[in-house]
Formats: sequence, C-alpha cells, structure tokens
Amino acid sequence: MGILTALLLVPLFGAALIWAMPSDSARMIRGIALVTGLLTLATAWSLLWGFDPGVAGIQFAEAHRWNPRMGTSFTLGIDGFSLPMVLLATLLCFVAILASGSIGQPTRIYYLLLLVLEAAMLGVFTAQDWALFYLFWELTLIPLFFLIDRWGGANRHGAALNFFLYTMGGSVFLLISLLILFDILPGHSFAMTDFMEGAATLPERTQLLIFLGFLIGFGVKMPIFPIHGWLPLAHVEAPSPVSILLSGILLKMGSYGLLRVSGMLPDAVMALQGVLIALALISLIYGGLLAWRQSDLKAMIAYSSVSHMGVVLVGIAALNVAGLTGAVMQMVAHGLVAGALFLLIGLMYERTHTRDINDYSSLVRVTPRFAVLTTLAFVAMVGLPGTVGFIAELHALIGGFERWGWLTLLLGVGMMISAAYAIRTVGRLFTGPVRARMRNIPDLYRSEMVAASVLTAGIVLLGLFPALALRLVAGSVTRFSAMFGV
Amino acid sequence: MLHSLVWFIPLLPLLAAAWIGLCMIFGWHTGDRGERMVARSASLPMLAALLLLLLLDVEGLSGSTPGQQVFGTWLASGDYRILISFTLDALSLSLATLIALISLVTLRFSVNYMHREVGFQRFFMLLSLFCSAMLLLVLAGNSVLTFVGWEVAGVCSYLLIGYAYDRPRAILNATRVFVTNRIGDAGFILGISLSFLWVGSVEWPQLALYSVEIAPLYKGLIGMGFLIAALVKSAQLPFSPWISHALEGPTPSSALFYGSLMVHAGVYLTIRLEPLLIQLQPLLILLGLLGLLTALYGWLVGLVQSDIKSALIFSTIAQVGLMFLECASGWFDLAAWHLVLHAIWRSYQFLHAPALLQLVDGPGRRTPAWLRSRSRVYGAATQRFWLDSIADWLLLLPTRSLAQDLQDFDQRVVTRMVGLPDQAGHLNSLARWEARRQGQGVDREVGRGRGMAGRLLAWLATLLYWFEEHLVLQGAGEGLRQTLDLIGGYLKQAEDLLSEPRYLLLLIMLTFVVIV
Repeated sequence: MGILTALLLVPLFGAALIWAMPSDSARMIRGIALVTGLLTLATAWSLLWGFDPGVAGIQFAEAHRWNPRMGTSFTLGIDGFSLPMVLLATLLCFVAILASGSIGQPTRIYYLLLLVLEAAMLGVFTAQDWALFYLFWELTLIPLFFLIDRWGGANRHGAALNFFLYTMGGSVFLLISLLILFDILPGHSFAMTDFMEGAATLPERTQLLIFLGFLIGFGVKMPIFPIHGWLPLAHVEAPSPVSILLSGILLKMGSYGLLRVSGMLPDAVMALQGVLIALALISLIYGGLLAWRQSDLKAMIAYSSVSHMGVVLVGIAALNVAGLTGAVMQMVAHGLVAGALFLLIGLMYERTHTRDINDYSSLVRVTPRFAVLTTLAFVAMVGLPGTVGFIAELHALIGGFERWGWLTLLLGVGMMISAAYAIRTVGRLFTGPVRARMRNIPDLYRSEMVAASVLTAGIVLLGLFPALALRLVAGSVTRFSAMFGV
Repeated sequence: MLHSLVWFIPLLPLLAAAWIGLCMIFGWHTGDRGERMVARSASLPMLAALLLLLLLDVEGLSGSTPGQQVFGTWLASGDYRILISFTLDALSLSLATLIALISLVTLRFSVNYMHREVGFQRFFMLLSLFCSAMLLLVLAGNSVLTFVGWEVAGVCSYLLIGYAYDRPRAILNATRVFVTNRIGDAGFILGISLSFLWVGSVEWPQLALYSVEIAPLYKGLIGMGFLIAALVKSAQLPFSPWISHALEGPTPSSALFYGSLMVHAGVYLTIRLEPLLIQLQPLLILLGLLGLLTALYGWLVGLVQSDIKSALIFSTIAQVGLMFLECASGWFDLAAWHLVLHAIWRSYQFLHAPALLQLVDGPGRRTPAWLRSRSRVYGAATQRFWLDSIADWLLLLPTRSLAQDLQDFDQRVVTRMVGLPDQAGHLNSLARWEARRQGQGVDREVGRGRGMAGRLLAWLATLLYWFEEHLVLQGAGEGLRQTLDLIGGYLKQAEDLLSEPRYLLLLIMLTFVVIV
C-alpha cells in the first residue's frame, strides 16, 4: 500500500471509528476527528520529504487493477500541481475540524461527513485515472449536501438543493465529455496518461466540443461567470467550517480539473484562449463589484471568491510559465485567505449573531487579536506585498501581460475594486464609534487563535518566502507551458 | 607644499559651526561661561584659517601664486565631472584674506554685542557657517563649488534675518529676501548648466580659456546667467529692494553680510568672469548702466533715510553700483581695489553704528535743502522709487490670485470628482468632531461611492446586482428548481395514472397490438 492510498484511508478509517462510537460521547468523537485530521495532515506533509521538485511528471505513483473490462484502474499519483492542493486540503480540513467546536447535534454524523469529504477531496487531487477522478468528484457532493442541508443557516434547504442541482448539472457535462473521449480513444482505458496521449491527436473540432463540456463541468465548481449561481447561497448558508472547505478547497477542484484538461486538449485551449480570458476578466470584475455591494460579510467573501478565482483563470488562460505559476499560487493564496476569513467571520458570527457589516463597529478595542488576524487576511486578499496574495497576483499579472498586453489592466482594476471592499470592511469592522452592543465580545480563545494563526502564518510565510511554494510547482509548470510552446 | 592645505581654510569654520551645532543639540556650554567657550570655538578656527591664508599670501608674494589646485572628483556622471578644485590667484587670495580678517573682527565684536542674547550659540554657529561659505565662494576653483558657497551664504542670511523668529515681521522679511535671491540662483544655475553644455567644463580657468571658441550667442547666454546672479546678490537695480528688508537681523550680521562681504559677492563673480565678459560688450554696457542707475538710486534714497542702518545700506549699494560701472568700463583691477577698501570701511561703519547712536544726541542728519525743494524727487526717494510695490504688483499679486484660483478649482472640481471630504468644512469645530465620533453624519451605507470613480463603481455594482438577482439567482437557481418541480409534478401524475389498473391494461393491450 502506497503512501497516497494511506492518505485516503486515514480519514476514512477515522470516519469508520466515529461511526462505531455511541452518539452521546461528543468529546470523544471530536477528539477522534481532531486526531484523524492531524494524522492526515502529517501524512500529507510527509510527502514533502520524498517529493522531488525537479521531476516534472507524476510521483508516488501506484496503480491497482480495478475493472479491466471498463478500462478503469485505481491509479494515484501527485505532481507539482496536485501536491500544493493536497497540502492545502489537509491543512484546511484540520482547521475546519478545529473550528467545529460549537456545531449543532448530531456531531457524530457531522464529523463523519467531514472526514468522508476530506477523503473524497484528497482523492480528486491524487487520482490519476479519470474514472476514479469522477468517482471522487461526485463523492464530495453527498457529504456536502448533507452538511449544508442539516447544519446550515435559515435558508439551508434551498441552498443545499441549489448547490446540488448546479453541480450535478455541471457533472453531467463532465461525464459526457469523459465518455466521448473514452469512446473515441482506441486504448479503452480511463488512465490519465492514456487520455493525454490520445486526446492531443484528435482534430481540433472534436477537441473543442469535448473541452466545452469540461469547461462547463469545472466552470460550475470554480466558479466562472455566469454559472456561479450556487456559490453565494451555499457559502452564506453553510456552517462556517464547511464554508472554509467550500471556498478553500472545493473551488480549487474546479481550477485543478481545468488545468489537467487543458494539458490534455492543447489545441482546444489554444483556440479558446480568448474566451477563457474574457470569462476570467468578467468574473474578476463582476465578482468584485458584487462583493463591494454586499453588506452581508459572508456574501461579500463569497463574491470575492468569484473575483479571485477569476485571477486563477487569467493565469490559466495565459498558458505561460508566469501565468500558470500565478494560477497555482493564487489557488493556494485564495485557499488560505478565504479559509482564514470564513473562519474568523464565522467565529465572530457565533459571538454577535449578525453578519451585517453595519452592525459592527470599533472592534479593535474590544477584540484586538481578532482585529489583527482579520486585517492581515484582508490585506492579503488585496495582494499587499509581504503576503502570499501579492506573489500570486504579481505572477498572474506578469503572465497575463506577456500574453495579452494592456488587456491585463483590467486585472489591476479588479485588484483596485478588491482593495475598495477589503479596506472598507476593515474600516467598518474595527474603527468608528463605540457601540453598546459591541462592547462585551470575548476575543479569540486559544484553540481558535491556533486555527486562525496557522492560516495567517501561512499567508505571511509564503508572502515573505515564496520560493518554498514556487519550487514545488516549477517543474510541472515548465513542462506544462512547454506543451504550448511558450 | 602649503597650498595643498588650502581646503582646510573653508573647512575650519565649517567644523566650528558643526561643533557649536552639537553643543546646541546636547545643551553643552550654556550660560555665561558657555558663551566664552562658544566664542572661542568660533574664533580660533577662524584665526587658524586667517594665519593659513597669510602664509599662502606670503608664499604668493615671494614667488608666484599657486593657481588652480585639484584635489579630486566630487561627482562624475557621463561626460560631466565636477572636481574639488580651488583657484589660488591674486584675486581669490586677497579676498579670502579680507573675508577671514573681517569675519574674525566681527566675531570678536559679537561676543560683547550678543552677550546674554537668546540664541547666542545659534548666532555664532550661523556666523561660522557663513564665513566658511564665503571662503569657499572666493576660493572655489569652479562655478559649482562657488555656487555651494553662494547658496550656503544665502541660507545663513535667511536664518540670521529671521534671527528673532518670534517676530512675524522678521520672518516676513527673511522670506522676502530669500525668495528674491532665488532669481539670482536661477541665473547662476543657468550659467553653470550652459557652461557644461557648451564649454564642457565648469572650472574657472577652462571657462576663461574655451569661451573664446564658442558662438557669441552662447557666450552671451552664459554671461547673462552669471550676471543676473551677480546683480541679485549685490542688490543692484532692479533687484535692490531686498537689501533694505535684510537689515532685520542683529547688527554684526548686517555688517558682515550686507555691509561688507556678501553684498560684494556679485562684484567678485564679475571680476572672476573678466575674460568672458570683455568679449561681451553689449552686456557690459547694460551692466554699467544698471550700476550707474543703482549708484544714483542708492545715493538719492540714502539721502532721505532717517535711521543710520538704512542710510548706510543705501550708500553701500551705491558704492557697489560704482564697482559694477568700473567693471563695465574695463577697469576690473580698480573694481577689486574698490571692493577691498569699501568692505573694510563699511564694516567699520556698521559695527560702529550702534555705539555712535549712543553717543550722538538729537536728530540725525537732515535731508539736504535742494532735495527737499524738489518735491517729486523727494517723494520718490522716500518711497524708494516704489520698487517694492512694483514687484508686488507685477509678481506677488498675480501669483497669489493664481494660487487662489487653483485652490478654488481644487476644492470645487477635483475634490468633488475624487470624492474627498470637503476641506473647508472638515472637522472645523469641536461639535462636528463630537458628532463624527458618535457616528453621525458619516455615510454608513454599503455600496455607495463618492466622487466620480465611486459613483461609477456604485452604478455598475447596482446594475450587476440586478442582473445577479434576476437572472443568475432567481432565473437560473430558483428557475431550475421550479422547472424541475413542474416536470416532477407531471411525471408523478403520469406515474399515478399508469399505476391505475385500467391504464395498465390499456398499456398491455397496446403492447400486444404493437407486437402483432
């Protein structure tokens, strides 16, 4: 059994253990969940020891026969694109478990679903077989649906159903594209490497149709304007730990899939580069403007996610080294930033029971620790130098400029809009007149402090020493962009 | 051998100034005992500089003057190089000796004069700095180093006019003098940059040597730049009025700056540029004319002054005007002699003036009868020929109203476009501040912007919000669900119908029909 299989089995094992527990031992269950999260985290980060950044291809590969008649196999492996995602996913899952202290009953089912979700997400990032990928992709839906529908806010049923329908709708296109490809290709195998070899040789028209299917499937998840309708509702209604996972990792599954598919269908991507950059820039500005208009804090962060995933798409559409590096870095940056923000705002919501920004005021006097960490996350969102957001946006900007010239100026406009709402929010939350209702709010407790500091420390660390992350992705990015001759 | 120490001469008073400055910062040597220390630390370096100069003079008299001395490069960029060089010829050595001597005497005089004055240390620091600047001005081997001395002397003048900085009048006068002097600085910089451009060097000997080869127009422009600087610094027409404003400072500084040393800097510059200027007859004629006019102006205005310092200063600029006239006539040596003698005499007069006032009772000198009988000239002289008012009317008022207009434009157009809070009504009262602290009057609505960019942002955001609400969320999200509900309803009905026996039978029969 390889380390990647172990990585998938650890959370599943934890889930099984929780299943076996009686439902009234809440502390025990939380303990098991925490230990499992930590173990998964350790397993994932131990990958760093064996990972050779110089090798561009798949590492830690392991393959098991699964269903030879269907051409499927249980193949796992990671490269420079998936490793950062795996590390991020395990980190955010651990933080989410930490932040679930005040979740409603029944906690047994909640933690069980959370761990299954973690396993499914890790499966998506490590799968090297499209059938397996699709399996894990769909598997994430089930726990998420129940997590939102059972533990969400007031409008949770609508949000959960909406989320499910949207992503299922997208998945249908994904599945169709996969099946068409499987049908066309002679090898009768779902392995990513076989797809890679075969698909690139297809005529451009066929590639284009197949890629459009993928684009819709992954675009819903990412999300890309105009198929982002599920996102604001789901993010707002989901409980905070689930919001962390939703915007921190679930969205990255979309962009990760798009990256994989782009490598598979180079002609189609080249032909659709213009469409991609247009969608990216529209998402960027559209999301930013709507975020600026929200007075609901969670809705604001949700729309800002649309905007920031637009930056990822700009990087992917540039198809050069700087752009792709920017895309991967932005995936990491947004995971950390959005995770930290949903965490902190969620914790604040537990104390004040309001998400309306107009109700907040002068929190810096009452809750200085909260103020510092939130401000840090917000400035990272704007892309202030010294935070990981800057590294990501700079790469995307350079890559975009190399390919698209002055059109990239719109990326700057998007950054300015994000500065507008981020600074506005910081100002509203922390400064201003002292209100009676805001006077007796407890500051962050120790466990909350640990969870939030881990994320903000990551933001600052990668901002000051970006080489740590850039080194991981360099090999894969170079190989990828070489495919497009840039 | 000795002349390699020449850079010590400006450096010694500079070090004295720095030392006194340190004393000021750290509060050393205050009080009566401190005064002696400060006076000594200013005078001794000056004395050393004077002795060094005298030795150089002896060397120069016994043999020949050392001439141009280069000690290294100050800065170099591309083809432009500025050297640290000193010109040691008869002119600069004699003038430097004069400066050192008069400075030393004035320093000694000030020890008693400034006794127990507020800012005793400040005065001596500035005086030492000024001496250093003047020595650098005359000894420097190129126009850039001369300009350094020129400017530092100007700054010292500004600071000493504003010596009593608690008096608004002093500050106003200091500012006026400084601003007028910037006109001359502009001319100096023009001269320096044009000599870089066309002569390729700013060293005085090179300027003299190569200026023969360049076109007359270029020569004229370079000469004009330097001459403007000279005219402003020496308070010649039409720039004369500044010098009467400059008398605000303590008497020893007036003596040193405007009576004897700084006012002659312009004449020094003119004599230094002799080789260039003799090629420019039209400019020289103009210079002579201005010198003559200034002499007349100084004489006439000086006659009607009622206080001793003003009378002295106007007669000073009259004498300096004569020096320019001499230069214009080609007698540069005469001008140099005149300069030296006048400097000594005038500093004596200025330093004596306060004591003289104590000794003499009764009204001062009366205006001569012939002048009083000519009422127009008399009136013009008492008004100093309205030069101040003309300058105000020509320069000050238009500038001020233009600034006012720009301020209005900024407030009414730019501030509103950018969306900044109005400056005029911004927190100008405690009541407003209190209201703001309580969160009143602050726009707290989300999604509203100020200024043009803010409005555009708000408008776009509203538009997109409508789109999002109606099409994306309700149209696609809710709509999808409703459609599915509808289809689900139909399917359920069909299902219900099919499960009834008669339809089941019908279906089976239909199947048979199809098979058959």
